[in-house]
Amino acid sequence: MKIIKMGMPVFLVVLSIVFLLGTYNLPKAKLGNPDAPLYFPMGVSVLLLVFSVIYLFQELRRAHEDNEQIREMLSGRTPLLIGATIALGIGYALIFETVGFLFSTILFLGALLFIVNGRRKWITNIIVTITFSFVSWYAFSELLGVSLP
Amino acid sequence: MDAFLEGLLTSLQPINIFWIIVGGFLGTIVGMLPGLGPATAVAVLIPVTFGMDATSALILMAAIYYGAMYGGSRSSILLNTPGDGSAIAATFDGYPMAQRGLAGQAMALSAVASFIGGIIATIGFIALAAPLSSFALKFGPAEYFLLMLLTLSAIISLSVGRMVKGLIAMSLGLLLSTIGIDTQTGVYRFTFGIPHLSEGLDFLIVIIGIYAVGEVLFNYLNIDEEKKEKKKVGKIWFTKDQWKRSKWPILRSGPLGFIIGVLPGAGGSIASMLSYTTEKQISRKPDEFGKGAPEGLAAPESANNAASVGALIPLLTMGIPGSGTTAVMLGALIMLGIRPGPLLFENDPGMVWTLINSMFIGNIALIIINILLVGLLVKILDTPAKVLYPIIVMLAFIGTYTLGYSTIDFFFLLIFGYFGLLLKILDFPIAPLILAIIVGGDMEQNFRMSLAASNGGFGIFFGSTIAVVLVVLTVLSLFYPLIIKSFKKLRGAGPAAD
Repeated sequence: MKIIKMGMPVFLVVLSIVFLLGTYNLPKAKLGNPDAPLYFPMGVSVLLLVFSVIYLFQELRRAHEDNEQIREMLSGRTPLLIGATIALGIGYALIFETVGFLFSTILFLGALLFIVNGRRKWITNIIVTITFSFVSWYAFSELLGVSLP
Repeated sequence: MDAFLEGLLTSLQPINIFWIIVGGFLGTIVGMLPGLGPATAVAVLIPVTFGMDATSALILMAAIYYGAMYGGSRSSILLNTPGDGSAIAATFDGYPMAQRGLAGQAMALSAVASFIGGIIATIGFIALAAPLSSFALKFGPAEYFLLMLLTLSAIISLSVGRMVKGLIAMSLGLLLSTIGIDTQTGVYRFTFGIPHLSEGLDFLIVIIGIYAVGEVLFNYLNIDEEKKEKKKVGKIWFTKDQWKRSKWPILRSGPLGFIIGVLPGAGGSIASMLSYTTEKQISRKPDEFGKGAPEGLAAPESANNAASVGALIPLLTMGIPGSGTTAVMLGALIMLGIRPGPLLFENDPGMVWTLINSMFIGNIALIIINILLVGLLVKILDTPAKVLYPIIVMLAFIGTYTLGYSTIDFFFLLIFGYFGLLLKILDFPIAPLILAIIVGGDMEQNFRMSLAASNGGFGIFFGSTIAVVLVVLTVLSLFYPLIIKSFKKLRGAGPAAD
């Protein structure tokens, strides 16, 4: 729990420093004021750094406090559901263009339904997967004219 | 008048009526899903508008938006689970009514209250939008920059007890908006060697990631505690007594909700809560509030729908969204090539009046959908969330693909989905982040244009009455909690000092 609670402020501090350093390394503009493109991001990076440091100190003081939602996120089958959705999403991204919309969507939605809705409801899962994959393919590709792989 | 008639005729075209009904129905369904509100509804359904002409797309978007507002209260009444903040107040008396077997009456009353609130607000919209857009024409870059700053500070100041998190969310949004080629100088900023980022981070991907994928991941936390309550819907029309008790609260809450909706930062949540507490205070039967008082349901329902129409005023007349949901709407409009702002009223009055007329028609369509189709809506609500959430995730992926035809965006979608989950769990307000990422680009351009016009002098930000008023309001809104705190302290210390 502490990793998530303290991880966010640390991540934000690091992110603001990365952006702040990034502004120093920005190329100069060839038109108008050469430094014009860096004022705004620099100012905002400084703001983010200042508030993130305040947040870090606030969290350090509250490090021992319990966070029910973090506990829920880490308990039961919630980590599996979150992890599976992200992992399947990555898989979907990798096969989407090579395998094609219809087949990859059937695989992605089907697998997600089996994990989230459970194996016992396999008939519902299969019907929903096939129906929604075809309906969305038809709606986007045929009705809305979206070019799908 | 010509523009009004032209708008009326356009919105009465069969195809546009069709889109109003489709949008209202789809919005109602997504808004009805527990934990998902209008912002998610608009985010997930953005791709449905692809390939349409701008006017039809705008009508569809608006119908999805207020359809979701209607839908949000269905799950409040039936499941005691509001779709979003603005539907919370509907649980106070709507759910007790449903528990007593009056779900049908509660839903009909809520639909009629929402309808009247929506109509009152649409009339207010007609009265206020044109003068406000003429006033907005006086705004220069400095005033626009300050107005955006005021909107952001107003939204942050509502994050009571978590101001620092609100400020972080805003700074992060502004920073993310700087990614990509700087339009004024052509300099590449923070692309980290990824060519795909040269055009910037598509804010619609951030929106879909946070509001669709992030919300689903967040809802996984309670997915196995699904409420399986089969309730008797009962009669689907309210009684004369219920109407007698509700009509004045509805008529009072409409204008109240509308005014709150117009203010930056405030929105449906505040409007509905304020109207609920006001009605409770002036009621002759305050003890019945919270136990199924019809006016306790009708008043906030009228107020939140009126607020949702009111919130469209700053969005359409100035191009400044006042809430997370209207920020998502702005994102959708920009994608459609519609640039909201005072010039929209000057250059394309036909489109604006079509939208306004479509609001009237949309409210009528929604009341029909929500009353005649009560049985169907209850059945849809019975569909397990475990089936619906994967479908929403799939739609989010398809929507993302259609934005840029690239699967690289899938990774950004997942990153922002997971990041959205963490932000929700750690109690960060999401609206300042979304608002900042959308207005960030314009804010920077206006800031730089102001400085260029004043040869680098910051005096331009105090150079007009409007600018000074905006600066004062921004400072007041940011320090308002501190001022109130010190004031209370002083009052508390006063008698002791004596």
